[in-house]
Amino acid sequence: MVEVKNLTKKFGPAKTSGLIAVDDISFSIKTGEIVGLLGPNGAGKTTTIDMLIGILKPSSGSITIFGKPFEQNRRDILQEMNFSAAYIHLPWKMRIWENLYTFGRLYQVKNYKVKSEELMEEFMLTDLRNKFIKDLSSGQQARVYLCKAFINDPKLLLLDEPTAFMDPDIADTLRKLIVQKVKTTGTTVIFTSHNMAEVTELCDRVIFLNKGKIVDEDTPEALAKKIGSCRVHLMIIDGQKRTLSWCEEQKITANAYGRYVTVELKEKEIATFLSKLADIGVEYDEISIDKPTLEDFFLKVTREGKI
Amino acid sequence: MNLNRIYAIVMRNLYVWPRGMERFMWSVGWPMVSLFSWGLTAAYLQSISMSSISITTLILGGIIFWSITTRAQLETTVNFMDEVWNKNLINIFSSPLTIGEFLAATIILDIIKFVISTSILTVIAYLLYSLNIIGFGWYLPLFIINLLIFGWTVGFFIIGMMLRLGGRNIQELAWALLGFVAPFSCVYYPITSLPVWAQKIAVLLPTTYVFEEMRRFMFSHTVLWENLLLSLLLNLFYLILSLIFLFLMFEKARETGGLTKLEG
Repeated sequence: MVEVKNLTKKFGPAKTSGLIAVDDISFSIKTGEIVGLLGPNGAGKTTTIDMLIGILKPSSGSITIFGKPFEQNRRDILQEMNFSAAYIHLPWKMRIWENLYTFGRLYQVKNYKVKSEELMEEFMLTDLRNKFIKDLSSGQQARVYLCKAFINDPKLLLLDEPTAFMDPDIADTLRKLIVQKVKTTGTTVIFTSHNMAEVTELCDRVIFLNKGKIVDEDTPEALAKKIGSCRVHLMIIDGQKRTLSWCEEQKITANAYGRYVTVELKEKEIATFLSKLADIGVEYDEISIDKPTLEDFFLKVTREGKI
Repeated sequence: MNLNRIYAIVMRNLYVWPRGMERFMWSVGWPMVSLFSWGLTAAYLQSISMSSISITTLILGGIIFWSITTRAQLETTVNFMDEVWNKNLINIFSSPLTIGEFLAATIILDIIKFVISTSILTVIAYLLYSLNIIGFGWYLPLFIINLLIFGWTVGFFIIGMMLRLGGRNIQELAWALLGFVAPFSCVYYPITSLPVWAQKIAVLLPTTYVFEEMRRFMFSHTVLWENLLLSLLLNLFYLILSLIFLFLMFEKARETGGLTKLEG
């Protein structure tokens, strides 16, 4: 569905090197996939999205969507796409239905009035249909933006941080609405977020960007696994010093805080580790194991530049 | 050009038009205020003047006709800026809407509002000061077309500048630029009143010929057709230039990120 090859975006004068926001990235997205673009601020996520919706022209490289070169078929392709972002709004002095009718007309949706009413029903906005955008809460506004994004039943939907600036409860409701809608329509989605749990929950695959380049690309679970180690937390009753010195001998990372010790281990080494503690007479009361998450991957790549 | 998309933008603006006091003021309010205050001033000057020429007619004619140009320009630029202010520019230009369709919608909107606002001003001028704009007869549409085209031309140029340079400061051009053009357009006085250097600028402006012919008609009930034709040709030349400039700047903004920066 989407094929991006050697995409580069440079800003600033050509004579100087300028800023390279996106640096020679290539990826493809299959029909029906939900793909997350993940990365720290300035990684190039929004610039990539802006190029995919045609607001920004690439400096070099190519974008092919629905099998057609984007630049040459911009109108036809945009007709089948839609976009929503936390930082893009709708006219504040327009009512919900007026906004949806406007975009229904812009996307040439047949029966746009019926479609708008259906979406308002689906996104729990029917009672608010006559309200101005300015009079809505941020959660209600976000639902209107999503209605706008689904007005043309897009084959490809780009969501740039749709839940940014929202409290967890509203963000959760919104995520559920997105999942429900996307699953029922089979829409292909490119999704950016800073919320790792959200990306893990929603995305089939993650493309991780850092400083304009693709650092890695895999399922959220597989990326998290690349961290390699789990964290084992133990509340030691007897033998904290023995535990730490044994870890030091074995070159295992271990930290103590109060009566607790946290040890970083590969998942398959945990059983051996616990058995060894028993051998050296260490007694512990509580044990918890934290598996690596996408957030661990994010922090490691962002701080160290690689995995 | 897709009529559905043009209709979408026309309707989007018509929904909000009655809701914003500022939109009403730009369209009708301020020209009405000018008409009242300058009408009274002109009437006073007339009363103390020995001249047989109607000062009121000259000034009010100028006000009504110049308001056609200023309103056309404001309508064009404010429609664009309204999308910027609402952070809706990316939404509409990430849809299949073309910049050409957006401009076409703007022109249609301007014509709708022109009919409403100019009708109101015409009635007020007639009732309060006995100025009959309709008395221009078949010359009136020619005057109006030239004034509208020049307003659109300046509006398109300003949008192009906003796309190229971005920033809030450039938006001030929407209110200021025609103010600089007005003295050279000879709205209230003949071109011969200008210093020679200014006359050289004035002859390059299509509006100058419209106001010269407006006064000629008021005094002699005749117009020089060649002047109106020259005005139209100049207008078309500038209109084409401003459209080329705007389209180039739109593409340039897609290269530089100007569209996103405008909303930032």
